[in-house]
Amino acid sequence: MNFTEETAQFDCEGETLTGILAQPESPAQIGVLIIVGGPQYRAGSHRQFVLLSRALAAAGYAVLRFDYRGMGDSSGTQGDFEGVSMDIAAAIDALQERLPCVKQVALWGLCDAAAAALLYCHETQDSRVTGLCLLNPWVRSEASLARTQVKHYYVQRMQQKEFWLKLVRGGVATQALRGLLQNLRAAFGGSGGSSAGAGAGASGSNPSQSSLRPFQQRMAMAWHQFPGQVLLILSGDDYTAKEFLEFASTDPAWKSYSTHAHLTRHDVSGVDHTFSTADSRQKVEKITLGWITTMC
Amino acid sequence: MQSQAFFLPAKSPATGQRFCLHYPAEGDVHRGQVLYIHPFAEEMNKARRMAALQARALAQAGFSVLQIDLLGCGDSSGDFGDATWQSWVNDAVHACQWLRSQTQPGDKKDALPLWLWGLRAGCLVAVDAAKQLNEPCHFLFWQPPAAGKPLLQQFLRLKVAADMLGGQSKGVMEAMRQELANGSPVEVAGYMLSASLATGLDRAKLAFPVAPPGSQASQVEWFEVSTRDDASLSPVSTQTVASWQTAGIAVNSHVVKGPSFWQTTEIEDAPALIEATTAALMKAAA
Repeated sequence: MNFTEETAQFDCEGETLTGILAQPESPAQIGVLIIVGGPQYRAGSHRQFVLLSRALAAAGYAVLRFDYRGMGDSSGTQGDFEGVSMDIAAAIDALQERLPCVKQVALWGLCDAAAAALLYCHETQDSRVTGLCLLNPWVRSEASLARTQVKHYYVQRMQQKEFWLKLVRGGVATQALRGLLQNLRAAFGGSGGSSAGAGAGASGSNPSQSSLRPFQQRMAMAWHQFPGQVLLILSGDDYTAKEFLEFASTDPAWKSYSTHAHLTRHDVSGVDHTFSTADSRQKVEKITLGWITTMC
Repeated sequence: MQSQAFFLPAKSPATGQRFCLHYPAEGDVHRGQVLYIHPFAEEMNKARRMAALQARALAQAGFSVLQIDLLGCGDSSGDFGDATWQSWVNDAVHACQWLRSQTQPGDKKDALPLWLWGLRAGCLVAVDAAKQLNEPCHFLFWQPPAAGKPLLQQFLRLKVAADMLGGQSKGVMEAMRQELANGSPVEVAGYMLSASLATGLDRAKLAFPVAPPGSQASQVEWFEVSTRDDASLSPVSTQTVASWQTAGIAVNSHVVKGPSFWQTTEIEDAPALIEATTAALMKAAA
């Protein structure tokens, strides 16, 4: 289907947000809002979001991608993923204002944008959002990072003969050993890995949010309560994805996440965190398209 | 006044449209027009916020600023793999022409200076574009490389590093060079790099364009950032600046404190660079 790309500038709390709307000739009732994750702007790493939005628009889905306040071309001060719900709401409004035929919205987010999507649902329970496409969701805390490191790095390392030979000869730096001990303590000591303990070390929390539950718990609540479709895509070669699996399988708040009634999960082997090859990017496009088609 | 985002139809219609962002000059005095030319591949993404901050600061100081995403970059049409060096130079020239066609109330058009502002590889595009303009222009360089060769080398190394993590690094650089020499594209860090673009970048030099006869002298504001307090201009820049000055070109070089924001892991600002840049252009316009 033919589509056009147009600029979209809209207000959020007195700041001007800049975005691009990919608009098919006759758009489906469900549109997609791409939320930007990590230190990026609306084009995405290696233009991942540009190419994804073109692929979705060519299949008949309207897509808006935008910079939230203080990022990319949008004005305002830099924030982080815990404070972008107003920006997401403003973007959904802008999408519907331009395309009133779009009644439902799927939020698409990679890494901390996946976290932002869940936090948005937790805060607003916006009924327009009927789908969540979450890639390598960000749940990092000191404990989850340490545990993933122990599991996927040190365990592997300790199975290697050179590691022990090096250790015996004094070739393993004391710094590295100290790191391992710290990680072991953080991973298995203290609170026993409860969410409350896990969230305490989370980055990005600000004073106004300190009275709230840790963001990982709010994400979990949104996950369990979300009535729509959830698409979970996990990269095979990605620490953040491993950390998510590790965290979600051990944290009480995330317990039974895999039993969500409308969950579709895809594990994509051999791809990195941002899907940085044409081949892996196309895999994600195909999975997203297949999923969204079932929602119409 | 807020920025105006729009798509500019490309000079050759078959290549689609280019994303542009225009910051009209604020205040009563319009001091000049500035075209921003972004750096290469992911560096453009990382530097996006700094470009926006500087554009806003210049607009407030009375300059109108246009940002353009070159073919296959940012929100512009095409894939990165479609881009060639010449297509980028053409886009920059086209953007200058658009900027020159804009007037604001009270403008005395002949007197309005035109600045080409580049970051890293954008400086190389700027000097090549200037050769195709029918008028002289000034240059604002942020971290200008003397040539494109080291930038290409750096970019290709990203692939070598990625393969090394995957356990295979032997001969990766040679293999890529061979592919490019055969005219085939290579995929690096998620970007498809055409042989033509690689060749163009490889050959690009920061050579001062000869101004049209009888035109006003050009001015160059040359900026480098460093995280060190006592940093001085890099040796290669010192050499180039000296040779340009010998040739009678007015070059002001500046070293300011700040991070290498085009390659940092997180999005970082260099406020000192913005302040010094705005001051330098104001001084030049005075």
